[in-house]
Amino acid sequence: MKITKLFQRTVFGIIALFGLIGISTSVLSINAVDSHLSHEYQSNSEGHARTIADASVDIILNRDLSSLQSLIDQFLKIQGIEYIYITNENGEFLAHTFVPGIPQSILDSDVSNTETVQRTIRGMGDFVEVASPILAGVAGTVHIGMDLESVSMKIQAAIGAQVYLIASVFLIGIFAAIWFVNFASKPIELLQTYAVGLAKKESDDGNFTKLLERKDEAGDLARLFQYFSTVSDPEKLGKDPNQPESSN
Amino acid sequence: MSKIRKERTNLTSRRKVLKSLVAGSVVAPFAGRSLFAQEVLTEGVSDDQIVLGTSAAFSGPSRGLGIELYRGSTAYFTHVNEQGGLFGREIKQNLKDDSYQPDPAVTNTTQLMVEDDVFALFGYVGTPTVTRVLPLLKKFQDRKFMLMFPFTGAQPQREFPYGDFAFNLRASYRQETGGLVDNFVGIGRERIGVFYQADAYGRSGWAGVRAALSKYDLTMVGEATYRRGTKFTANLREQVEILKAFQPQAIICIGAYAACAAFLRDAVDGGLQVPIANLSFVGSENLLKLIDDSQENSEDYTKFLVNSQVVPSYTDDTLPGVVEYNEFMSRYNPSVPEEFDDDQYTTFDRSFVSLEGFLNAKLMTEILRRVGESPKRLNLEEAVFSIKDFDLGIGEPVSFDTNRRQGLDRVYYTVVEEGVFVPLRNWKGTFS
Repeated sequence: MKITKLFQRTVFGIIALFGLIGISTSVLSINAVDSHLSHEYQSNSEGHARTIADASVDIILNRDLSSLQSLIDQFLKIQGIEYIYITNENGEFLAHTFVPGIPQSILDSDVSNTETVQRTIRGMGDFVEVASPILAGVAGTVHIGMDLESVSMKIQAAIGAQVYLIASVFLIGIFAAIWFVNFASKPIELLQTYAVGLAKKESDDGNFTKLLERKDEAGDLARLFQYFSTVSDPEKLGKDPNQPESSN
Repeated sequence: MSKIRKERTNLTSRRKVLKSLVAGSVVAPFAGRSLFAQEVLTEGVSDDQIVLGTSAAFSGPSRGLGIELYRGSTAYFTHVNEQGGLFGREIKQNLKDDSYQPDPAVTNTTQLMVEDDVFALFGYVGTPTVTRVLPLLKKFQDRKFMLMFPFTGAQPQREFPYGDFAFNLRASYRQETGGLVDNFVGIGRERIGVFYQADAYGRSGWAGVRAALSKYDLTMVGEATYRRGTKFTANLREQVEILKAFQPQAIICIGAYAACAAFLRDAVDGGLQVPIANLSFVGSENLLKLIDDSQENSEDYTKFLVNSQVVPSYTDDTLPGVVEYNEFMSRYNPSVPEEFDDDQYTTFDRSFVSLEGFLNAKLMTEILRRVGESPKRLNLEEAVFSIKDFDLGIGEPVSFDTNRRQGLDRVYYTVVEEGVFVPLRNWKGTFS
């Protein structure tokens, strides 16, 4: 696709503008999606921890711990949740989902702490751990570990979809801009060819009829070129200079 | 599998037309009879049959438990049916496979209660499955369904809020683990570690060990877990190393046979050579077979084994119930349910699990007899409560009342001698 020199800058300007819009939109979008989804995953996990904590009160006080285990096993099916453990007020582990055993880094941690923490567990990976107290902490604490890699993958997938969309719009916009510029530059190219033809005194084979009939600026210029060509050509002076060749 | 599904679909259609029909995987252990006879059922009862619903492990790494439990109960029900049944009705089991997984167990039970309209739930296997099924009994409490004699010693079906919807025959895991801890502590083995299945069953046994140790002001020295469904081929060295680091003097395993056999193999190979105890749920014969089949000198491994049981030894000919079990198992030799038979499972002539199934069926038959000629679910609980000092033939009378919904309390301990589990007579002499 050839673009006239006159419009090349315009095209590059449009591409630059689209690029700027695309990049800035992508950056904003990535930040928004990343922070929104991260917050949402964490918020959901905190919600799950609270739900388990609320449901655990009755089980811890009145029922067998197998019911507690059954409860947390069901939450483990939720995507992103990698482990759950429940400790009593003395820090004793009442139920957990670890295999083959409770990691040393968790055994060594302050299990009564309910602040969100990031953990690296050897052999398991990186996690964000949220916690919720059971009965205001006097009956223990629920901890839920979210797999950072899994969460990151989800966020990356969402961001990827956004970037893909923006890039697609950008590319479509570029091609559309080039096509429109090319479309707009077509009469100029024709006019240029016509002017060169007149200058070389090449015979008119009727290819420029449509150009001379145009009602726009290109048509006006073509007719003007034809006029100047006629008045400056001694061979044509005998003819009526006000009579255009192509008019019927 | 698709064949079974197709049959079920057809039967569901029939059911819509004919109201309640016995269908699907109803098992008729009677030669020459149609497996899918169309009969009108009300509360699982028709003129010539009474149907019990069963969801158990008939596939997967724990299928030996579901199959052997079924075989034991089938031996007794077949005998009853050959004698003309109860009030002219044959006792049948509508079988569904849950592979020892909670979600299929819930689906199966819903189908058994809502669509198949069985008389009662009987012969269930496993804590993670039963624990999830219990809320269904509460949900449909107006229809008076009861869970009869599940193959689990866990607490949820023994206590509030679901205790009123179940009857148990076997002793609980608390009693099994309590007995093991008492005996280990009694011979000076106070450093006890626990290897358990990471689910409700494992937690139930873990809680039992914890409670038993607390009586002696002790705590378990260490713990390691495995995932439900772990196969014998799995490498459990990591679990062995975790426990070994705590230098335990005994280990109590709360698991199923495949994983527990793998743990025994890796523990002995890894130098953790201390008594390794398993609960009754493990499926002792299945565990022993895995060790025997895979290890050249299986005695090197089995000499560390001590398994608790909730039924007496099937070799104890002094007990009439055991003699009867042996006779019926020989006479009928129940096979793997046809719809779940893939020719991959070899049955056992005798096992603790099938003996438990046999005793469950014997007591269930007596209860159904007491429910009367016109069985109604409404009368089932009352019939159970009428059981007082009932003799199952194992030297332990069985009684139920409103405050006692578990028939037996005795726990037996067994060790391997000459390739067979036999009663453990002397803890000190064996493990000191």
